[in-house]
Amino acid sequence: MTGVFDRAAGEVAGQKKILPGKPRIAVGLATCGIAVGGEKVYERLQEIIKKTGVDISLAKTGCIGYCREEPLVNITIPGKPLVILHKVTEEDAEGIVEAVKKGTVPYKKALCRVPSWDHVTGTVITYGNGFDEIPLYADIPFFKHQKKVILRNAGFINPEDIDEYLAVGGYAAAEQALTRMDSETIISEVEKSGLRGRGGAGFPTGMKWRITRDAPGAAKYIICNADEGDPGAYMNRNEMESDPHMLIEGMIIGAYAIGAKEGLIYIRAEYPLAIRRLVHAIGEARALGLLGKDIIGAGFDFDIRIATGAGAFVCGESTALVASIEGRTGRPHPRPPRLTDPGGGLWGIPSDLNNVETWCNIPVIIRNGSGWYAKIGAEKNAGTKVFSLVGKVDRVGLVEVPLGTSLNTIVCDIGNGGAQGKKVKAVQTGGPSGGCIPVRLFDTPVNYESLNAVGSIMGSGGIVVMDEDTDMVDIARYFINFATGESCGKCVPCREGLRHTLILLNRLIARKGTAKDLETLALLADTIKNTSLCGLGQSAPNPVLTTLAYFREEYDALVKP
Amino acid sequence: MTQGKTGTELAEPPKKPVTVSINGNAYRADEGECLLTVAERVKIPIPHFCFEQSLEPYGACRLCMVGVVHHGKTVMETACTLRAKEGLTVLTDTPDIVKYRTILFELYLAEAPKSAVVKEMAARYGVTKTRFLRRVDTGDPLGGACILCGLCVRVCNEIMGAGAINFINRGPYTVVNTPFTEPSRDCYGCGACAAVCPTHAVSLEDRGGERILHSWSETKVPLSQCVSCGKYFAPAALEKSVLSRIEPPLRDDLEGLCPACRAKKLAKKEILAATGGDPGDA
Repeated sequence: MTGVFDRAAGEVAGQKKILPGKPRIAVGLATCGIAVGGEKVYERLQEIIKKTGVDISLAKTGCIGYCREEPLVNITIPGKPLVILHKVTEEDAEGIVEAVKKGTVPYKKALCRVPSWDHVTGTVITYGNGFDEIPLYADIPFFKHQKKVILRNAGFINPEDIDEYLAVGGYAAAEQALTRMDSETIISEVEKSGLRGRGGAGFPTGMKWRITRDAPGAAKYIICNADEGDPGAYMNRNEMESDPHMLIEGMIIGAYAIGAKEGLIYIRAEYPLAIRRLVHAIGEARALGLLGKDIIGAGFDFDIRIATGAGAFVCGESTALVASIEGRTGRPHPRPPRLTDPGGGLWGIPSDLNNVETWCNIPVIIRNGSGWYAKIGAEKNAGTKVFSLVGKVDRVGLVEVPLGTSLNTIVCDIGNGGAQGKKVKAVQTGGPSGGCIPVRLFDTPVNYESLNAVGSIMGSGGIVVMDEDTDMVDIARYFINFATGESCGKCVPCREGLRHTLILLNRLIARKGTAKDLETLALLADTIKNTSLCGLGQSAPNPVLTTLAYFREEYDALVKP
Repeated sequence: MTQGKTGTELAEPPKKPVTVSINGNAYRADEGECLLTVAERVKIPIPHFCFEQSLEPYGACRLCMVGVVHHGKTVMETACTLRAKEGLTVLTDTPDIVKYRTILFELYLAEAPKSAVVKEMAARYGVTKTRFLRRVDTGDPLGGACILCGLCVRVCNEIMGAGAINFINRGPYTVVNTPFTEPSRDCYGCGACAAVCPTHAVSLEDRGGERILHSWSETKVPLSQCVSCGKYFAPAALEKSVLSRIEPPLRDDLEGLCPACRAKKLAKKEILAATGGDPGDA
């Protein structure tokens, strides 16, 4: 049987776009780039190119993750390395076009050069040599400690053009899986890879697939959790905005292995650009026969729909998420039944729910093999993880490192410590469900177990840095205030307990608290953690419990003697 | 977990008897039976607010947490969501449970300071004071006694199928009321909400030909008047809904009659039939 899908044709077309045989200027246009004026830079460049009639290809890309240096612009001149310009403004546009016309780049704006780029799934794009005065990508401290697997294409390809994804090895894994592998082989590859859920809990992905596949009933659903709601976390947003096809490809492979005909992406409505790019990408994939009937001519039917959330943090919890998709109020129910159980999933059908980044790991595992993947990272913590490094850190950005990398490497080597030379005091990992880890524990390797051992969690990957000026009690109050507002109100420890935690913290900060209040605070936090119905309540007191454990002196200082 | 292919075709299998251990004593139970029901049957007190036999376990009040002993470790779980199985071992008063239950009761005392039921139940577990700030809301239509167990909402939606009330807002701002806190057009006035409310927070009254649901935005529903004695006896919408589910001959007999007159009429009819049409001394 021959399908309409022709990977080779798309690959050739895409390569002609990435290396067009003439200069290409690509502006980083994820939400972050747009926010700092990237779109204006793009429009100005477009205007100048049109006016001067110069033969330059202008494109959009996603984001390479160096938030502090945005807007970022890539310049490719045939035979020369790709050059990344940083902090580009509208005023720079004229100079950029002038330089490119002369076959060069504005050196003053150059951040680094990339002679060739390994897109990991078998494709290396070779740009060229020259511009030796510009530092190499690998010498930039922000980049040199990173390992790009999930973000391999982010900032290099146009997320709104499926050809460019095909040019860097895209959909080769899906083709391989659907035409040359069966369900069992795929699931066992994912199991052997050691991939664990990137939503925070770290459940083995392959095992979850197996449970769903083997659950009674022929119908199954797969769901992607894109309800990224932690304050300061934007890994999933960038993954979807910069490389939406990677997610779709992961879901196609998962659906085939699990035996699902339908997939849903539950995405928060606050991510309009990610939604737009996903809708566009799903349309492109359908047009190429990668979604719909008889995918890749392999006789397998599968399609993806998008469901948007209405802005509730608790809807990231699996049972609340399903309730929300079904049109009910997003309130969790006790598990079991789990989503994978009959009667427990979407519309009562056994469903597999994975986070965006978990799905994004699938194509590379299939393409490069479980053995290759398992070697990245640490014992029982295979692979890389994307973190959003934010807060009072010098180099703010999206960071991808192998699991097991120490907090020190992330915060000090990659992030260059505190902003404006201030001393770093702690980091908060895992968002409002996580805890604050003091600087003396920065040799803690970032993996699921070690973070739990110090009272925090991996979560989806937010790392918020606090410096010497940060008031830790106020930080605890910030997160408790967030969790109080996001509690669904179903169970009493979360609904009432968090409210009283907030009242107690406010009283302490107003210097009206007593030693007795401090005692009550600790006991209440412990109660909420141990008696709440769902993960939101069970983890919400973590910021209080960890600041009490590591920064007790700041609480004591607020209490009247 | 895996069922045989014919599983759905078979009738419900007979319940397997199992032995569960509560606080060191062995009790018989049916496999899959709700542990809270088992404990109630054998008179072991476990406090709870949100449990009701006729509804799915909800697990929201968290008071029925018990310690489940498994491989020497004790894990806390709610008894209402626990299912009996052979060898299930639970403890109802571990030091942890006592500690957490105390805080939960204190939270309830602060949330519903006007509820006598909460005060009584808390006192039974030794909690007579709360260290938390009491909620004060003089305009609360539930009189400061609602603990948001959700029983009224669930019974209205799941059993009556009316959907007249639901939760509004979220988190600590959650309340139960009618949509937009306007009088409801969906309410039957059946009063099931008031009947299941564990803290007797729902206020309703029959005044003249109307039932007024004070707690639900002063929703008013008309009452049916007995065609025989003239007494108001049931919400008209509820009567209509119930009658629509009864076969015609009986329905025609019952229509418009209050329970007392209905009994009289039916008795009279039976006697007439038995005595061959002669009312005699009846």
